[in-house]
Order: sequence, then C-alpha cells, then structure tokens
Amino acid sequence: MIDPDADLVRKAGAGDARAAEALVHRHLPRMVGLARRMLGDAHEAEDVAQEVFLRVWREAPRWKPGAAKFGTWMHRVALNLCYDRLRHNRERPDAEAGLYVADGAPLASEAWLEQQRTAKVHAALAQLPDRQRAAIALVHFQDLSNIAAAEMLEVSVEALESLLARGRRALKTGLADVAQDLIGAADGASRV
Amino acid sequence: MDQARFEHLLEAYGADYRRWPADERAAAAAFVGAEHVAIPMQQARSLDAALDGTRVNDADTSLLAARILAFAPKRQRPAIDRYATWALAACALFGIAIGYGGGMFAPLAGVDEAYFVMALESPFDARGEEG
Repeated sequence: MIDPDADLVRKAGAGDARAAEALVHRHLPRMVGLARRMLGDAHEAEDVAQEVFLRVWREAPRWKPGAAKFGTWMHRVALNLCYDRLRHNRERPDAEAGLYVADGAPLASEAWLEQQRTAKVHAALAQLPDRQRAAIALVHFQDLSNIAAAEMLEVSVEALESLLARGRRALKTGLADVAQDLIGAADGASRV
Repeated sequence: MDQARFEHLLEAYGADYRRWPADERAAAAAFVGAEHVAIPMQQARSLDAALDGTRVNDADTSLLAARILAFAPKRQRPAIDRYATWALAACALFGIAIGYGGGMFAPLAGVDEAYFVMALESPFDARGEEG
C-alpha cells in the first residue's frame, strides 16, 4: 500500500516547514468540510480541524506507515472528535441550536424559497444518526470511494452501503413534507 | 447484477455512477434507461440534487492554516551545533585551569632568585675573576 502522504508526514515530523505547509494545504479544507457536515457549525468545524492537526503534529515525528493511510487516520480522528462534540452538545443543548432554520428576514421570493429548501435539507441531515450522516458526508460530499469511506468508518463495504441506504431513505422521508417543492426545484437544477 | 442489486446501489450511492463501486459500474450501465428503474432513478437523482443544493463554497482557511502551522514541529539544530558552544566553553575553562594550576605548582621563587642574580652579574666582572 502506497501512502501518498508518507513522505510529507516524515518530513513535517522532522520539522520541515514546507512539508507541514503542504500537508495542511492538502488536508485542511477536507477536514473543515467534513466537520461542517457533521456538526453544522463553521466555528466548531474549525476547532475540530485545528485539533486534528495538533494531533498530526504530535504523531508525525513517530508516524510509521502501517495498516492505515495517514489520510484515513486523519479522517478517523476528525470523525471521532465530531462524535464527541455531538454527544457533548446533546447532553448540554445549546441555546443557538437550530442553526439552519432560516430566519424571517424579507427576501426576494425565489431567494427565500431557496433558503427554506436548504434549511430543510440541513435540518434533515442533522436529524440523521451520526454514523449515517458520516457515511453520507464521506461518500456524497467528500467524494470518497466506498472502500476508503468504509475504512474511515471502520466498517465493511456492505455495512457502509447499509448506512448510506438507511440514511438516504430517512432523508427522503424527512423531506417528504416539502418534497414537491424541493424535489421539483432540484429536478430543475439537475437538468440545467 | 440483478434489479434488486441495482436498486440497492441506487438507494445507497445515489444516481451518480461515479460514486458507485468501481467494479459494478459497467454492469450497472445495462440498466440505464430501462423503464422499470426510471422511478427509483428519478427519486435518487432528486435527492442528490437536494443534497448538492446545500454545498457551500470552500471557506477561506488561510487564517486557520497559519494558526495551525504555528504549532508545527520545528527543525532542531543538529546535536553537534547545539553542543558546540558548551564544548568551546569547557575547553576554555580547562585551559584556564591548566594554566592557573601549572603556575601554582611551578617553583617560581627559586628560578626568579637565580635569574636576578645572573641578570645583575656583570659579564666583565665574571671574566676578570676568571683571569
């Protein structure tokens, strides 16, 4: 197994500033994107991404290529940090919860409808069990292969498919009340 | 691939075949356009589009990157450089100690006395005495 990050990790661990920069450039946007999908909050996502890299800096000097690729390990760390935060947030509900519910500010009707649709989809995603949301985040939004996503979730490909199918079924159900509007608009967008 | 497998993959990965398992894409192509999968295909495509509608542009992560890089491991000076200063200082101290200690133990008083006696003696007087 060839790890495309192995050389960068080794150099970054030895204090090579350029290698560290390249590693951040390669992985930071993906870490932030994944955490945003999981947590639904940009600031929390940045905190998670930063924590992931602090662990990277700690591990890099002693990293030895092994069973998992470095990128896979980073995704696992990010997911575990997200699970921890989600658990913590559930135990201590935040007054600002419901982040994606659109506000009532007057907008042009089309923009308002678009905002409503987006808010509904975000809300439906947020309602999914963590692992189903993680599976959809990895495969749909991070565009990872089924094998890579399964490895990151530490499940078999069959189990990943089950998580994805259940997640997407739940989304369809959760979005049923706005299905006509939402799906009609999405159809229009997909045909363009 | 049978229809049940096709529909399961459609349900799991959506309508975009690029997300499907690489080794099943070719077999799935046989179902494209088939009337009996048109409805699930349309539903999957609609859900994909709805999800894609929530995509946001990548946030500017340059400030975050700078913050993260501030904690990156720093290159350590080679050990030889790090210890060179201490080695030089130790050598200097050793030299001073040797010089000072050597001076302490040398029989300077006797040497000095003989030196001054010799220095004050006139060479001419010495020759006269001999003659």
